[in-house]
Amino acid sequence: MSSHTYTSLLYLASGVLLLSAVGIVWGRPLRVAVRLLAAQGAALAAIPVLGGAYRHDWYLLGVGLAVCVLRAAVLPGLLARLVPPPVGLTDPREQTGAGERHETGPLLGTSASLMVTAGAVVLAYAVGQPLVALDPSPSTRAAPVALAVVLMGVLLLVTRRRAVSQIVAFLTLDNGIAAVAFLLTSGVPLVVELGASLDLLLFVLVTQVLTARMRVKFGGTDLGELQELHE
Amino acid sequence: MSTAACFAGVLGGVSLSGAAAVAAVPTRVSAAASGLATAAVGVTGLVGGALAVAGDLRPAWVGWLVPLSGASFAADATSGLFLLVIGAVSVVAGLYTVGYAAHGHLGRAPLAVLPVFAGAMLVVPLAAAVTTLLLFWEIMALTSLLLVLAEWRREQVRAAALSYAAMTQLGFVAILLGLVVFAAAAPGHAETFPALRDAAVHLGPGPRAAVFLLTLAGFGSKAGLVPLHVWLPKAHPEAPGPVSALMSAAMVNLGIYGIVRVDFVLLGPGPRWWGLVLLAVGALTAVYSVLQAAVATDLKRLLAYSTSENMGLICVALGTAAVLAAAGRPAVAAVATTAALVHLVGHAAFKTLGFLAAGGVAAVTGQRDLDALGGLARPMPVTTVAFGIAALGAAGLPLGCGFVGEWLLVQALTHAVAAGGTLLALVVPLAVGVVALTTGLGVAAMVKAFGVGFLARPRSEGAQRAGEVPATMIAAMALGAISCGVLAVAPAVLVPVLSRVLPELPTGTAHGPGPALGTLVRLPGVGGSVSPALLAVAVGAGVLLALAAARWGSRRRPAARTAALWTCGGGGLTSRMEYTATSFADPLRRVFDAVLRPDVEHVVIAYAQSPYLLEKVSYRSWVHDTVEVVLYRPVLRAVAAAARGARRAHTGSIHAYLAYGAAGLLVALVVVL
Repeated sequence: MSSHTYTSLLYLASGVLLLSAVGIVWGRPLRVAVRLLAAQGAALAAIPVLGGAYRHDWYLLGVGLAVCVLRAAVLPGLLARLVPPPVGLTDPREQTGAGERHETGPLLGTSASLMVTAGAVVLAYAVGQPLVALDPSPSTRAAPVALAVVLMGVLLLVTRRRAVSQIVAFLTLDNGIAAVAFLLTSGVPLVVELGASLDLLLFVLVTQVLTARMRVKFGGTDLGELQELHE
Repeated sequence: MSTAACFAGVLGGVSLSGAAAVAAVPTRVSAAASGLATAAVGVTGLVGGALAVAGDLRPAWVGWLVPLSGASFAADATSGLFLLVIGAVSVVAGLYTVGYAAHGHLGRAPLAVLPVFAGAMLVVPLAAAVTTLLLFWEIMALTSLLLVLAEWRREQVRAAALSYAAMTQLGFVAILLGLVVFAAAAPGHAETFPALRDAAVHLGPGPRAAVFLLTLAGFGSKAGLVPLHVWLPKAHPEAPGPVSALMSAAMVNLGIYGIVRVDFVLLGPGPRWWGLVLLAVGALTAVYSVLQAAVATDLKRLLAYSTSENMGLICVALGTAAVLAAAGRPAVAAVATTAALVHLVGHAAFKTLGFLAAGGVAAVTGQRDLDALGGLARPMPVTTVAFGIAALGAAGLPLGCGFVGEWLLVQALTHAVAAGGTLLALVVPLAVGVVALTTGLGVAAMVKAFGVGFLARPRSEGAQRAGEVPATMIAAMALGAISCGVLAVAPAVLVPVLSRVLPELPTGTAHGPGPALGTLVRLPGVGGSVSPALLAVAVGAGVLLALAAARWGSRRRPAARTAALWTCGGGGLTSRMEYTATSFADPLRRVFDAVLRPDVEHVVIAYAQSPYLLEKVSYRSWVHDTVEVVLYRPVLRAVAAAARGARRAHTGSIHAYLAYGAAGLLVALVVVL
């Protein structure tokens, strides 16, 4: 792989990463958000895979494949089971989670969220400059994109109401953090990556159970309604 | 020759296997297991102390024990002295626990923690690096906190534990900050004690003063120095008997150890104002605490205040030593240092005995209130004698084991005036006055504790039902009483230890001869000597002579007749006619009204028919800790107000909390990058 191809493909992956995050911020249907998350996971996994292929680092390639399996397949798969299937496909009597297919009434409107997203990208580029200046290379130049994804994850966490959206938001945040790590360093130690992945898997499994319990207990997963529980 | 690390390992092994044994054995024998394990830890400490004093423990570094820094252990004679004291107290307290806990006063968890606490206290003097010291200091604090909480079902215990937890953590933070500033000056930020000692000369006067003040505050709070003492009179009395003894006779000493180790040996010798600060803090502590002890009505609270008082006196002695060393009078400084060390040992002996006796009384009668005790001399003769010996020591009178230390202190102070300087000429007479006042009030407090608490007639059902404590507790108290007696009449037993400790201290005999503690206690450079042994012989001879004379004089007296006691026609004597602790201390309370600020509730209810006929008169008074009321309450109120303000930000909405986090992230990003 030539240096030029590598750089182009790397930037493509970063672009997909960013665009999928923007898509998640934009879209309301949860099913779409989960699919975008899978795309984002694949884009994230592409970064170490490309790096490994370019530098002939098999070890990094392995890490990338592990990331791909976890973030593009396993986690979105688990999440998809939390989203009720579209209307018409199931018996109407079994529709326990009606109204859980869409993100309802986010705390910030779609257009306002997109404005903030644009602001976040600008901010990420502004604060990312010193990081890039440490060691300018094609991969570190893409680091501000990953920072922007982190900021978008935070934005999603703050504004979304549904439990599934919250998990999507958290995973977006984590994808961003992982992307920063992959872009700024030439590979994360396998132990660290394995630990982080295991954490992530456990987090999703636990929240999956929690979401199901919430749905049974309260008939919905609107976190705004949990306010009464304080103290 | 073994290493200090080996010894620390043995200590840890004994303590932890003791704790495991307590957890494993059946409940029936868990008390015995815990007591014997604690005693075994104590014996290990005594052996280690002897080795350390003899200089047989090499310094060592254990890399795997603490991540990143490793753990350093070393033992010199100073460590050895503290090991010996703490080890001896642990042996006695452990033996006592066997009988005390068998009464069912202690659960399994506190019993398991007890040997670990003793072990942690013994490792602290062995630490030779900042991290190691802080680690074992914290283990000691946490285990003692668990032990204070042994009777957590009572509200006062929980309040005391909370106060203790807050103060011990604040103290820890102060020590941590001080040592971090200190270690930052060492080349390569080395944190071992030898490196710190070398770094002390490079430390500027500002950081040096900061290190001194921070470590003094941190270690001083553990030693119960005013105004950081407030936890001590709460936590020490609420702990079970043997734990009170361990805390009051062993743990507080480590506060003094910290001051000696860090501020004298590593950082010092310092400028003169360090000594003056120590003197002032010690004097304030001594007078304030003994005053509180004199008006206290709770037997164990009185003893706890007495602990604070004695730590104050030790601090006065250390301060005097520092001032004199800075003024170029090493001989007298050595006398003052000796006074501090002798008094520390003596205090450990009599305070162990006092708390063990008081713990026995509290266990048997269910009472600690002196106003409700009394009449214990007949049902509990051994405990009464034991407390008497302890009270004699605490009063600082001749034949008590607190006497030699206080006498040495007064000698050092009276010979310090000649050291020169206007300031000394002003400060020293004041300090002599403080010591005299402290001793006087201490006598009053101890007479009250012994006279009102143990003599006369019982004032409550609990005191009436009292019986003697079990044999193991008696054996422990006997050990304590024997140590008190030996220290009182033959302070020479301390010579082998002190002769090696004093040359290690900058205010000790590094620059001059020390006092000779033989049969005759002689002081070089100052004209004073006393012989506790000859004094004891003289007193004994005098008592025998008086008895013989009385017998001889009673030859011609008519035989005694038994008749009813004349009681002004008021019927038989009742316990309501006795002095109570409150009434005994009332004159003192009135004299020191401005300092003590007691709350008094005086209600007179007259009959409706005539205002001159009274139906009922009730009188209650409480003495609060003035320092706590004046210094702590406003701070606590401010913190509570700030917390109320912060609660407004807590809406309970997850999104609000997430938004706070996001805002924090943004601020961090913008500020840092």
